Amino acid sequence: MNIFRTISAVAVAVSLWAFPATAEILPSPEGPVLLTVSGKIENTNEGETALLDLEMLRALGESVITTETIWTPDNHTFIGVRLKTLLEYIGAEGDTINATAINDYSVSIPISDATETGPIIAYEMDGKQLSRRDKGPLWVIYPFSSSRDYRTEVIYSRSIWQLDRISIK
Amino acid sequence: MLLVLIGLLCVLSITFLLSEIVRELRFLNSARSDNVHWALSQAEVEFLDFRNAVQTARTSTSPDALEDVVVEFDVFYSRVVTLRTGTFYSSLREIEPFGNSIEEIQNRLDAIIPIIDGPRTELRAALPTLGNQAAEMRPLLRTAATAGLQYFVERSDQSRENFASTLLHLALLATALVFALIVLLVYTRRVGNQTEIRGQELADAYARLNTILETSLDAVVVSDLDGRILNFNPSAERIFRYSQDEVIGKNIADIIIPDHFRDAHDAGMKRMRASGEQRVVGHGRVRLEAKRRNGEVFPVELALEKAQAGEDEMVIAFLRDISHSVAAETELVEARDKALAGEKAKTEFLAMMTHEIRTPLNGLMGNLTLLEKTPLSQKQRRYVRNMNISGGVLMHHVDAVLDVARFEAGAVQSREEVVHLGRLLQDIVDSQAIAVEMNGSHIQWGWIGKPAMWVRIDSSRLQQVLLNLVGNAIKFTHNGRIIIEAEQTGSTLELRVIDTGIGIPENEQERIFGDFQTIDRADSGIQSGTGLGLGVARRFVETMGGELGVESAEGEGSVFWVRLPLVIEDGPEEQDTTQLIEDAVTGCDILLVEDTEINLELAREILSGLGHHVTEARNGQEAVAKADKHRFELILMDIRMPVLDGLGATRAIREGNGACRDVPIVALSANVLPEARDRFVAAGMSGFLPKPLDENELQRVINQLTSRRHIPAETPRPQPRENPLQDLLDRYLSETVALFAWFDTKPDDLAEIAEQAHKVAGSAAAFGQPKLRDALVAVEMAAELGDRDQLRLAIDAAKEVWQDAPEPTLP
Repeated sequence: MNIFRTISAVAVAVSLWAFPATAEILPSPEGPVLLTVSGKIENTNEGETALLDLEMLRALGESVITTETIWTPDNHTFIGVRLKTLLEYIGAEGDTINATAINDYSVSIPISDATETGPIIAYEMDGKQLSRRDKGPLWVIYPFSSSRDYRTEVIYSRSIWQLDRISIK
Repeated sequence: MLLVLIGLLCVLSITFLLSEIVRELRFLNSARSDNVHWALSQAEVEFLDFRNAVQTARTSTSPDALEDVVVEFDVFYSRVVTLRTGTFYSSLREIEPFGNSIEEIQNRLDAIIPIIDGPRTELRAALPTLGNQAAEMRPLLRTAATAGLQYFVERSDQSRENFASTLLHLALLATALVFALIVLLVYTRRVGNQTEIRGQELADAYARLNTILETSLDAVVVSDLDGRILNFNPSAERIFRYSQDEVIGKNIADIIIPDHFRDAHDAGMKRMRASGEQRVVGHGRVRLEAKRRNGEVFPVELALEKAQAGEDEMVIAFLRDISHSVAAETELVEARDKALAGEKAKTEFLAMMTHEIRTPLNGLMGNLTLLEKTPLSQKQRRYVRNMNISGGVLMHHVDAVLDVARFEAGAVQSREEVVHLGRLLQDIVDSQAIAVEMNGSHIQWGWIGKPAMWVRIDSSRLQQVLLNLVGNAIKFTHNGRIIIEAEQTGSTLELRVIDTGIGIPENEQERIFGDFQTIDRADSGIQSGTGLGLGVARRFVETMGGELGVESAEGEGSVFWVRLPLVIEDGPEEQDTTQLIEDAVTGCDILLVEDTEINLELAREILSGLGHHVTEARNGQEAVAKADKHRFELILMDIRMPVLDGLGATRAIREGNGACRDVPIVALSANVLPEARDRFVAAGMSGFLPKPLDENELQRVINQLTSRRHIPAETPRPQPRENPLQDLLDRYLSETVALFAWFDTKPDDLAEIAEQAHKVAGSAAAFGQPKLRDALVAVEMAAELGDRDQLRLAIDAAKEVWQDAPEPTLP
């Protein structure tokens, strides 16, 4: 783990939060890239896109959701970055997120879903990092158990797994 | 009830429908269904991707191709895990072909994992094995997909059916609901109609009530319990001269209550509000006074009723203006008082006349009695006897006039005694013989059939009636015959006076029984009588419970018949007059008080003749003085005397302390009216002897009242059946009632008040009501002093005493 990178990412996040209109050059990922963000974003590190590895995602702050899903048995504890935090980090300016999985499954998530208590982009389940064989490396998790509003077909369809690309429109 | 039931049904139906819909909506909304079809086909797609990647890697040497195999393996693996463990597919897994196939695929994939995760060189070497493995997995996957699809088709059918049935239920419920609503509508409409009809009826009733109120002749005033006027009908407007608008809401006390009733009214309303006590309300009509707008106070008849109108109580007053009828009533009372006064004057006049005629008669008859005791020839003796009888007849005439007056006063009672009928008839024939002979006629009497001897009858009345009939027969019969026939049939006695006179025309036969009816005939030369005879006779007969009638043919004669109830009695033993006198008490010491010289001498002669010792007094004063000094055995007292009259003298003797205060005092009076006798008793007198004095009567009284009574020889005369004292008591009671009724009419004549009070006062003492006597004496005194205020108080006090007085007792 690179402490310095973590600190600088936090610093950038805090400064972005304070001055969201200011474009920043994001640090470059050092590990394998888990997520590629393109489209209407302010902050980039590779041309028009922003590439993020696990360390960078962890550095944005861990959020926890404990919930059941229709695809897994029992309750699970998911850890990941809050979608809202991520969007702020990359300076998203559109109103729709086009999320695409490894197998090219694609779904649209309205920016309005990204609230303080809304979905996270999970990278860890029950203390284990999500592997690709286990719907990893990233899985959009809504707090299904917390509200009936999250247990609809639309929300289930937005809960995309094996996520690796998003595009802001 | 029906309404409530239908409402409940509706609510239940709606609730049920809603819950059904919500359930369906939830089922649709909560979409636990990931798109299963998509998931299954996706699994096949991903499997094919994996197989293609394996295929591609076998023909290519690029390391990326190997990397693709790993990625596609992971993606497929992830899908299979989802299908094998996802809660959403748990029901699907229970179908054997699907569950087993997935389980098998998972096992095969798990077996491949070491190759995938191993070094790439080994992976490349194992590619042909992977290809074989994939070929073996393919039919498994196909089976799973087909089974899953089959399951979901069935499920979908089930779901559709459920949904269809729910919709059917919804439709049925909706129909039921509509039906219920229609019933409700019809019911509501009917209730609405009824309400409308009731409203109309109420309006009609109100209109009728209003018409009644408006056309009522009585004033109707409605107020609340505080006295505020709520309603004032047109009659009230007319009577009180206020319009309804002026008085609504004002206090009834300010409008129609006269000032002098204000306090009583306020107290009454307060009492009713506080305790509900009602003195006038609900007690029918009462007479009160009310006030008009101009302040005029007038009499009203008032009826108050309390009524409940919803929560409020109200008082309804029905008032009738009776000022006219009260005025008419007052006039009537005055007219009656005047008439009564006239009637009284007549009675007084009659009493006076009786007295004036009886006094000289007294002298005449007395002297005849004395003459009878002197030596006389046979002829003279007969004349004297006839004179005696005619005198008696004259006395009867006077009495007849008196009787008419007494009839008018309604105070006639039959006084029956036991008499020998034959003797009575013989006496009449004897007394009339001379008159008959003067007309050249002949008179006789006789029984037809079995004779009756002693009978109980009002002999005095019968005698009067027969004398009247015989007298008439004599008058109208010349040179003819007069026969008196007596006949008893069962319990009836019929007496017929038959003459052969001029007869009576048929058209006059009824008229002759009227008062003051006379038959004047120029040719007969007959002098008319008073014309009272037959009228009085018929009244007498009727009083005795009988009938009097006539049959006559003009020119042939008349038959007057009398039918009376017959009561036969055992006669007393025969006694003659001499015997009676021999048995009589003699030698009494008697005080005789009489102012008229002739009467004094007459009475003295009779008394001396009977062997008594007589002391004389010329007036009441002298009598009191003599009675004070010497104790007599009996005092005979005239009533009308100068200086002090008989009543005053009697009172003085009784109230004084002289020698004679308890000696019997007997009144001598020509006034035979019962009222007069009561006065005598009230003054303290012990008995009464009518003038003219009869020797036998006198002796009887002396025998009765003196202490030397000769008991064994006492005449066993039949006593009158009725107790005269009881009669007196009854009369006293009716007179007292009459007196107070008269007081109530507020009489004005002070002298009259004094006299009437005096009269009843005397009786009151005698009948054991001394307090009433004192109270009435106070009235008398106040009247004599002319003190009207004092008089009013005294009358009120007397009234109270009268009401509280004990029952009167016989003296």
